[in-house]
Amino acid sequence: MNTNARIPFLATLAVAVLVVALLVVGRGGGSGPSASPSPSASSASSSASGSKSPVGSSSPSGSVALTKLSVGLGFIPSVQFAQFYLAQRAGYYRDAGLNVTFQNKIDPDLIALVGQGALDIGIADGTSIIPAVSQNIPVRYIATVYAQFPNVVYAKASSGIKTAADLRGRKLGTPGKYGSSWIMLQALLGSAGLKTSDVDIQLYPDFGQGAALQQGAVDAATGFVNNEPVQLQLSGTTATILRVDSIVPLPGNGLITSTDSLAAKHDALKGFVAATLRAENDIIADPQKGLDAAVAAVPDLGKDKATQMAILNATIETWQSDYTKVNGLGAIDRDAWTKSITFMSGLPDKPVARAVTVDELVSEELLAK
Amino acid sequence: MITSFTIATERHEPSEPPRSVAGVEVRGLDFSYGPARTGEVPRPVLAGVSLSLEPGELVALVGPNGCGKSTLLRLVAGLLRPAAGSIAIGDRPVDGPDPRVGLVFQAPRLLPWRSVLDNVAFPLELAGWARSARYERARELLLLVGMNGSEGERPHQLSGGMRQRAAIARALVLEPSVLLLDEPFSALDALTRDRLNLELQDLWRVTGSSTLLVTHSIPEAVFLADRVLVMSPRPGRIVAEVPIRLPRPRALDQLDAAIVSESAAAVRMHLEAEVAA
Amino acid sequence: MRLRSDRFQTGWIVAAAVLFVLLWQAIVIVGNFRPFVLPPPGSVGARFVQAWTDGTMERHVPTTLSEIVLGFGAGAALGVIVGYVLARSRFAERLLSPYIVAAQATPVLAIAPLLALWFGTGLLSKVIICSLIVFFPIAVATMVGIRSVDADLLEMCRAFRARPAQVLSKVEIPGALPSILGGFRVGVTLAVIGAIVGEWAGGEQGLGVLINLARGSLFDTPLLFATLATIALIGVALYAAIALLERRLVGARG
Repeated sequence: MNTNARIPFLATLAVAVLVVALLVVGRGGGSGPSASPSPSASSASSSASGSKSPVGSSSPSGSVALTKLSVGLGFIPSVQFAQFYLAQRAGYYRDAGLNVTFQNKIDPDLIALVGQGALDIGIADGTSIIPAVSQNIPVRYIATVYAQFPNVVYAKASSGIKTAADLRGRKLGTPGKYGSSWIMLQALLGSAGLKTSDVDIQLYPDFGQGAALQQGAVDAATGFVNNEPVQLQLSGTTATILRVDSIVPLPGNGLITSTDSLAAKHDALKGFVAATLRAENDIIADPQKGLDAAVAAVPDLGKDKATQMAILNATIETWQSDYTKVNGLGAIDRDAWTKSITFMSGLPDKPVARAVTVDELVSEELLAK
Repeated sequence: MITSFTIATERHEPSEPPRSVAGVEVRGLDFSYGPARTGEVPRPVLAGVSLSLEPGELVALVGPNGCGKSTLLRLVAGLLRPAAGSIAIGDRPVDGPDPRVGLVFQAPRLLPWRSVLDNVAFPLELAGWARSARYERARELLLLVGMNGSEGERPHQLSGGMRQRAAIARALVLEPSVLLLDEPFSALDALTRDRLNLELQDLWRVTGSSTLLVTHSIPEAVFLADRVLVMSPRPGRIVAEVPIRLPRPRALDQLDAAIVSESAAAVRMHLEAEVAA
Repeated sequence: MRLRSDRFQTGWIVAAAVLFVLLWQAIVIVGNFRPFVLPPPGSVGARFVQAWTDGTMERHVPTTLSEIVLGFGAGAALGVIVGYVLARSRFAERLLSPYIVAAQATPVLAIAPLLALWFGTGLLSKVIICSLIVFFPIAVATMVGIRSVDADLLEMCRAFRARPAQVLSKVEIPGALPSILGGFRVGVTLAVIGAIVGEWAGGEQGLGVLINLARGSLFDTPLLFATLATIALIGVALYAAIALLERRLVGARG
């Protein structure tokens, strides 16, 4: 009787101890996720420093220690991150007294990792920041990268789809009913008085909607303006692109940091933003510089430079908008953020858990005036 | 009248019409283990075994370990096929598991997840009897072996003796002409064994089945049998026959009688001669 | 005595659960974890209740549950049949085993997107994933169970002229039942994992989708934990159902 009774008790105790141990190990190791391999991080930083001057980790002035900053980029190393690679390679970060390392992370995880302090800086879009902050994840959006919302619906021109209203009853491929593509789709369809149920939605969880569109399995698909539609155009097919900006100006991807870092590493972050925007301006002036830096950081990209250049050009276009032309690269359009909060608060999934203000979401203090 | 007619057809009891008790005739039986397809050298187990059971006779078979007694029993039951020779029950040959045979094994071989009643009724169930008819018949048999009241129990709740009684009831449930017993009481303690020997004698007298009993125990063989057959070591054959001229019904205290001792001594002599050879 | 022992055990089980929750809370306090990293038990509990009352679980639980039940049913049926064939035919075992083991060694996580591609992101692909993951342990358990059926009982059946179908239904299956049900126990918990993995590979409803939603769209960590708790509860409930079935079917044996 005694021994029988003890078994569940001991088992529970063992489980509890195990949980504690795992958590302690996870924390001790400087947050579990960062232990995962990040293929481009080391190659990016080493090739960048190697190509410029052999300084390695020692500071250029010889005495001032560099401030370390870890930056989380999207999951796949890409020419879309050319400005970061160029700022590294050209020494802009080092000149700002920074030792920057890159890590590739899955997008939704980036926000939690930044909020937790495991990463200093990450990239995330407004449609993720609004729900995250409404769940009290302490992050701020500090600089705009994509001044136009990069998630679009696109179709072959031959499909006859010209406006959002034409999507009614057509087959549309998308990875899943969550995330920024899904929010964009609801906004786009809403502008034509359509609901998602008015469209025949096909799910491609492995992001195969681009291939499905090319093969004609779907009439339209969601994608990134600087990726799938570019590939379609390169294959010789004219693409029609339906953008959401003119309907609801959803804030695109930008740099994020945690509220703690914003206070504790203010100057370093400010230096990082300035160096990154400087590299962006360089690339706008001479896209080849961006491509070279990206190929140096991620040699695989050198296999098909024409494609990469096309993607980079589309990316450069997305960096800029009427708003940035007036207010400068990286500028944050508070009006667009306000409209996004209103729009997302009305969505059926209720992604905005509590009322949030623009001041809780963005911080413009790191942007040079 | 009409009712009884209906019941009779539905039950198709083997007792209607009354069955005839048949004898067993075994002629020149050869048997080997080690089938040709494995390329093994066949190991002969039985070599030219002949024996016969008169209808209603109780014959015991004794022999050294591994002499093929159990094999011989399985051949008669139709579970094995002889390499040569013939087996007949009455005037019909045995050419497969035979409905005229009731078999009791050394272990009770009851289905552990079934009640005693369902175990005894098992052969009837396999033969397609209706539920009520087979339970009625199984209850008769349980009454016969003195197990009325244990119908609902599971095998693991029974003593070893009770389990073997249930196994005997199961063997008798289809009213076989021939009852074959393979060392049925060898795993039981001496007192239980004596009591079951008595009960087996009573059962044999009630059912009238021709009975072949394989046993290691000379006293058991002498106490129960009309004749005791002695087998040689492998390859087995029948080397002696000892008739037991003891009046029936036999009682346990008769085991001390002179005639029993003499018969037992005769059997033992033949057995020892064979083992020494 | 029995009653006292039961009450005694219940006391310990409750105490263990309380200890678990207290430890959890202590970890949150000592580690100073933010709620989006490790929410305290109270907020998970509140979110759990909310999700069960505001229609969230009503929308997702039936989907996942039906995937599990159908997938487990199909996988278990196939597993028992194949397990039987493997037990009774050495040739079949030698012929099929390498493929079956190889299929089992392939991570479901890797096959799930392919199955979604071939069979769509509806119910079918999830049922297939559940069946695949359930199949192996049940096939192996059945094979072991059938092989362990006492050969003496089979000879007894032959002596009483049982037909092969009768031997199967009256002796082999009942005899192998404890082992088969052991396979069911393992299988049913794997079916839960299969359904979630299947939903991750694409789907509109279900607890796996809710995990993605909570993690990738809503950033609602308490909802994520409440969903995990719901999945765990489903697993425990199904396991208990199999255990109950086991007790009813084989509990009375010696």
